[in-house]
Amino acid sequence: MFGQIKMIITVLLIAGLAGAGMYVMKLRSDNAILKANQSKLETAITEQNKVLEQQKQDFTAIMESNKKLNVLINTFKKDLQDLDKRFTKKNRDIGKLAIDRTGAIERIINKGGVNAARCIELASGAEHTDAELKATLKSEINPECPSLANPNYVPYQ
Amino acid sequence: MYHINKIFALAIIILLTGCSIGGEKKIKIFSIEKPREKLDYPMPTALQLEDLKWIIITSKNAEEVFAKLEEAGIDPVLFGLTDKDYQVLARNFAQIRQKLQETNNLLEEYKKYYEDTGNSQ
Repeated sequence: MFGQIKMIITVLLIAGLAGAGMYVMKLRSDNAILKANQSKLETAITEQNKVLEQQKQDFTAIMESNKKLNVLINTFKKDLQDLDKRFTKKNRDIGKLAIDRTGAIERIINKGGVNAARCIELASGAEHTDAELKATLKSEINPECPSLANPNYVPYQ
Repeated sequence: MYHINKIFALAIIILLTGCSIGGEKKIKIFSIEKPREKLDYPMPTALQLEDLKWIIITSKNAEEVFAKLEEAGIDPVLFGLTDKDYQVLARNFAQIRQKLQETNNLLEEYKKYYEDTGNSQ
């Protein structure tokens, strides 16, 4: 009888010790999981911050690009208006002028044609010449597309 | 008998907890992000246009112009435009040039955005 009680107590003691050991092991495992979770959360936060920063940069880049394109489109409108002005300035009639001063208008038209062709070359990606880059005076520029051909030319106001 | 029971109890405990010691190794799965290959086309080559000559012909100089053409061995024929149509042609060319410039600019902006800032998808 006494022996059996002793055995039960021993079994209970061993089971208790084993249980305690397992509980400690579980706690350690939980701790490790929590540590891993914490590390993952920190990484996720860092990554989220990186994404936010990248989004900010992208947004700025898009805004800048839009601004540039808007400036370009406004320049186009101005170039077309300038072209119209050249034909109609002060009630100018190019037909009548061509009848009266045929030779002079022919020279002007041919020069304009060469300039316009150069504008197309530049628009398709041709390199600027030194003269085009250095042009700052009205007499030196390509009047067909000054904003494209002569980036250093500032028109008089 | 007492020792046998003890050993038996210990054996049962070890048997029951044995699998939880050490355990299976976990498989680690990790992903490596491989960026998409760049579409590295060179920019289109610039145009090189050929020269052309405009001839203004009026009722006064028509004969002289045709005579000069014949003298130079050129067929005495001209493809004409009125002054108004010449203005339209000039405007059309300006619009084509602007569209070309706009398209090239867009291409450069796309290239800059997706290649310089590493936004390749």
